[in-house]
Amino acid sequence: MSSATIFGAVAKFFNERFPVEKLNFQSMVQQKTVPVHRMSWGYYMGGLTLFFLMIQVGTGLLLLFYYEPTVNDANLSVEYIMNHVSVGAVVRNMHAWSSSFMIFFALVHLISAFAMKAFTKPREITWIAGVLLLFITFALGFTGYLLPWNQIAVNATKVGLQALDATGAYLPGVLSRVPHIVRETFQGEATVGQVTLTRFYALHVVILPLALAVLLFVHLVLVQLHGMSQGIDREAKKRELFFPFFFVKDLSVWAAVFFVVFFLSLCVPFDCFLPFPLLDPYNALGATPPDIKPEWYFYFLYYPLELLPFWAVLLGTSTVVVVLFLTPWLFRKSSRRTLRYLALAASAYLAAMTLFGQQIYELVKR
Amino acid sequence: MWLVLKMIAFAAARSGVLCVIAWLSFVTPAGSYPQYQTFVEKHSGRTVNCSMCHVNDNGPVGDGGGQIGSLSAAEMTRLNQARAAMQPGQNVDSPILNKFGNQIIKKLGRANFLQTVSDPGQLGIALGDRDDLDGDGIPDSREFLDGTDPLNKFHGDPWLMLKNNMLRYKVHLLLAAVSIGLAVYGLKEIYSGFVLAKAEVERDGLNEKDQAENACQHGKKEENP
Repeated sequence: MSSATIFGAVAKFFNERFPVEKLNFQSMVQQKTVPVHRMSWGYYMGGLTLFFLMIQVGTGLLLLFYYEPTVNDANLSVEYIMNHVSVGAVVRNMHAWSSSFMIFFALVHLISAFAMKAFTKPREITWIAGVLLLFITFALGFTGYLLPWNQIAVNATKVGLQALDATGAYLPGVLSRVPHIVRETFQGEATVGQVTLTRFYALHVVILPLALAVLLFVHLVLVQLHGMSQGIDREAKKRELFFPFFFVKDLSVWAAVFFVVFFLSLCVPFDCFLPFPLLDPYNALGATPPDIKPEWYFYFLYYPLELLPFWAVLLGTSTVVVVLFLTPWLFRKSSRRTLRYLALAASAYLAAMTLFGQQIYELVKR
Repeated sequence: MWLVLKMIAFAAARSGVLCVIAWLSFVTPAGSYPQYQTFVEKHSGRTVNCSMCHVNDNGPVGDGGGQIGSLSAAEMTRLNQARAAMQPGQNVDSPILNKFGNQIIKKLGRANFLQTVSDPGQLGIALGDRDDLDGDGIPDSREFLDGTDPLNKFHGDPWLMLKNNMLRYKVHLLLAAVSIGLAVYGLKEIYSGFVLAKAEVERDGLNEKDQAENACQHGKKEENP
């Protein structure tokens, strides 16, 4: 195959995925339609994830005014925000609740897009950008967890970084050094300390949000260029214009959801769900307290790690990651019915591990 | 006469018991009562540690902050005063106890407190449900039983927090609900407006099309009379 042919194939691939001729107001705004059918709820999921991101950015910027990223002052500054800053507690709780909602809806968005077969040609790059966005969202959750610098924050981060390091033993040759280098880069010193906090802070408030903004831009532009996917096997009997009809409905859902977040932030402080000794400031000289767990959205990985050999979990996770990236090609010919069953199985697994992980763990260990 | 003698004998016996308890409390390591931690963890299913009642997470024994080994002379005096507070209602300011720990001794007295050591669940009952040191709306006794922090107003049983805060912030919630309700209503009206506008545009379009077709047919008739 000549280089001209390869170049031509690549150019054709990108031309189809980035139809620049549609980069105009008429195509992206005036003519964009949304199919109306029984799976239409799936079209709201991406917008909801975006809305929670907006809450995250807003509340995060407010928290930046008072938060001090030093090991001596981080916990004190969080305590100050909670107890002395006007509406500080509500803002911090909104940040915490909204982060959980954002991850939840990002997962629902991914699973529903999979079930609706929204990844097929020409939407492969939209899908891959979405998967990367999900990973960045998880990374934001992981890095943000350390910032309050309390017992659970530091100890859970240590466990997470150790798990990352341990993957090196299962990689061949030079690759085996990579996880250790990554851990050293993020940790920055012999143990989790000031340098780690500074780097996690930089990752959480600058690097990851920038990466997320770039990928989100690509994702949203592609969604506008290609329009909403069909979602079901038959052509939808009805379609409605995205602007203004669907957009106004989207805004109504956002408003209702905002009330839910506000209600929860005001009435149920997020810290309620943790044992109080884990909320104490981190003591470098103290013993590791019991019950150290990651946030609920990592339970799907945490409980298998507790129950199964590390290599098995690593193999499973790596397979899932590869499958996620190759989904547009692996499931190109699968029927929507098959995809729905797979999506249901994945949802059942995630729900079981998140809600009943502890009981399953106790049952198996007994 | 018998009654007076009985009362004297009872008072003497009670004082004797109190003296023995007081003596025991001085010679035994102060405040090492893991029974409470065990009970609360079993009762609530939550992990707790000594910092529920003590200044130090690891309890009163040791050389760390808030532990007996690190106390100054003045603090030792305060500790001994607290140890001597056998009756309820005495102000105590023990340097090894936090606000909740001191409140327990003040409320019950040391004698009554020590009687609950063998049955820690009784402490929750003895504390009653009037005190709420952190002001989160959940009584301290309930926080003790639930294994939540009685000194942190953002920590408590989630359901109770929800119930109490809904009542506490009912005006805020109502205002938020009304404003968001109005916003949703406004969006609904905007949506209806767009639907009407679209229908009008389509109708106009149809009318124009009809007129154009009529004009066309009329023209054809004129051409071919």
